[in-house]
Amino acid sequence: MTMTTNPQTDERTDARAEASGRGKLDRRAMLAATGATVLAMLGYPLVRRLWQTPRPVFLARDQRYDGPLVETIRDGLAAVEFDSAWVRGRRVLLKPNLVEPCRDCPHLTTHPSLVLAAAEVFRGWGADVVVGEGPGHVRDTQMALIESGLEEALRGEKLPFADLNYDDAPAVPNRGRTSKLAELFFPRSVLEANLIVSMPKLKTHHWVGMTASMKNLYGTLPGLVYGWPKNVLHYAGIPQTVVDINASLPRTIAIVDAILCMEGDGPIMGTPKPLGLVAIGLCPTAVDATCSRIMGIDPGRIEYLGLAAGKLGPIATRDIPQRGEPWEDLVDPFAIVDVPHLRHLRG
Amino acid sequence: MTTSWLEETLDRLGRRPVCGYYAGGPAAVEPTALAAMALVGHGRVHAADAALEWLVNLQSDRGSLGIDKQHWTPCWPTGWAVLAWQAATALRPHADAQSGSPWSEPAARAVAWLLATKGTAERNNGIMGHDTTLQAWPWVEGTHSWVEPSAIGLLALKSSGHAQHPRSREAVRLLMDRMLPSGGWNQGNKIVMGRVLRPQVQPTGLALAALAGEAEAADHVRRSLGYLDRAVLAPLSPASLSYALVGMAAHGRSPADAGQRLAAAAADALGHDAPPYPLALAALAALGADCPYLRAAKA
Repeated sequence: MTMTTNPQTDERTDARAEASGRGKLDRRAMLAATGATVLAMLGYPLVRRLWQTPRPVFLARDQRYDGPLVETIRDGLAAVEFDSAWVRGRRVLLKPNLVEPCRDCPHLTTHPSLVLAAAEVFRGWGADVVVGEGPGHVRDTQMALIESGLEEALRGEKLPFADLNYDDAPAVPNRGRTSKLAELFFPRSVLEANLIVSMPKLKTHHWVGMTASMKNLYGTLPGLVYGWPKNVLHYAGIPQTVVDINASLPRTIAIVDAILCMEGDGPIMGTPKPLGLVAIGLCPTAVDATCSRIMGIDPGRIEYLGLAAGKLGPIATRDIPQRGEPWEDLVDPFAIVDVPHLRHLRG
Repeated sequence: MTTSWLEETLDRLGRRPVCGYYAGGPAAVEPTALAAMALVGHGRVHAADAALEWLVNLQSDRGSLGIDKQHWTPCWPTGWAVLAWQAATALRPHADAQSGSPWSEPAARAVAWLLATKGTAERNNGIMGHDTTLQAWPWVEGTHSWVEPSAIGLLALKSSGHAQHPRSREAVRLLMDRMLPSGGWNQGNKIVMGRVLRPQVQPTGLALAALAGEAEAADHVRRSLGYLDRAVLAPLSPASLSYALVGMAAHGRSPADAGQRLAAAAADALGHDAPPYPLALAALAALGADCPYLRAAKA
């Protein structure tokens, strides 16, 4: 492994040294320097991610699929300090959740109108926008597009779609190193994106408690390599692989469809839960922690959020500046399926 | 009308029988095997040779085939290669009567791999509604068995004279067990935490093809054909429609407008510069009960 010097680490270490007397290498400074070196060697990419990404979360209430979602997304991204000029000429991949669409279940998958609104925003800023998904339970991706209503929507707007289940997928190192998987196979459409926008449907999840922007990124991995379902990831541990995938992807932000959600036996067979919210943030961990609180679940009890905390982003309220509506006013507890492995989420 | 889309499709497949899942994508085992079977099934036997040979070149020492040149694992497409080789052998016996089929040896090695490979069994824990101890084939070695790879593996074993092998019999039991109570299959989870899940068209069509000739599955077949009868009335992709039609044909069923539906789906796909994969499936579906992967398995 190449030893890389982290300029931010050096700055902080210098500041500490200055505070304790320049040139005077006391025990505290040495410990700090040693710690920084270890971090640089073992976890630099993760630490860099945490330090460089602003983590505010924007919440908009009273949202509707036939409402002004373009304005909501534009305002939300501005509120969380997204640099709109940065995307000009860059490739943006919008990643909705189409895990197992069903035309009679609008609470199961990301609504097409939110995807189109996000596409309009990023296109308006000069980005090259692609929509991509690798449905977890449906081998025929075109059927997933038909059932979700997204095929018609994309055709109408001439938005290209990348089938992430079948895209050519080279291996990259697993930068999260939380599971036993040494490498992860990501589709080229994902690796070549400058920005990934995770656009999940907010749902309960009968294995891990809740699913939003982080778990949604399971759909960036190809079924060709991982199967339908992506059983390899289950065997390696769902919470662990959620963290690994998030740690290994290019820059990722979140726009959550929490307008019509799912509660109970999610992520497939749950019941509709109207919430009327859109959540936006530059740090998926912070966004999901906030969504979890709105669902009435302590994010520290969601295992993958616990694993991600401090590595990929914050989950504590003090570290997540709120924009738009305060989350405390929006809490509306979701029904959770009554199974032993989820009982700790209650109360 | 039908001839027009089919001729265009076969011409395209004949020009590039070694093909991938999408335009410009890397050549892959599954679409290449399907293209080869479509060409062979429609009498363009020699047009499939390059594809069949390419599959041989991708076979590992273990007898398995991965997804493509870059991915030697997972090996779930191995069964498709067996079916393509067996179809080619079955449909041109005259050429191979003297020298033997060039595809017999690679097919035998691939079958040996299939017989030696199985999905993991799990202890029944009351959460999953299926019998988790049954073993057929997984998508990825070291994981559980699922419907589509199990159906492909079963078809491949049947095509190779192993219909009564214990592995085939267990695969039949697994497919029957994984069927949803009211008919049809999805990826392989019929009930989770007490809740019945939803069926899907593609795995249903493939499972029905694999269960052709299985008398013990008669009731499962009846219920699943009932599901497909309803499902094919809704808008379907070319791939799902094709799998549905072959699955129905395996049991002597064909929707009244099957030809027109297939022609419309294929023409739409051709108009959108569709990749060879769904076109090969449509060409196979046009053969109905003579679809090579069905015929090879029945033989």
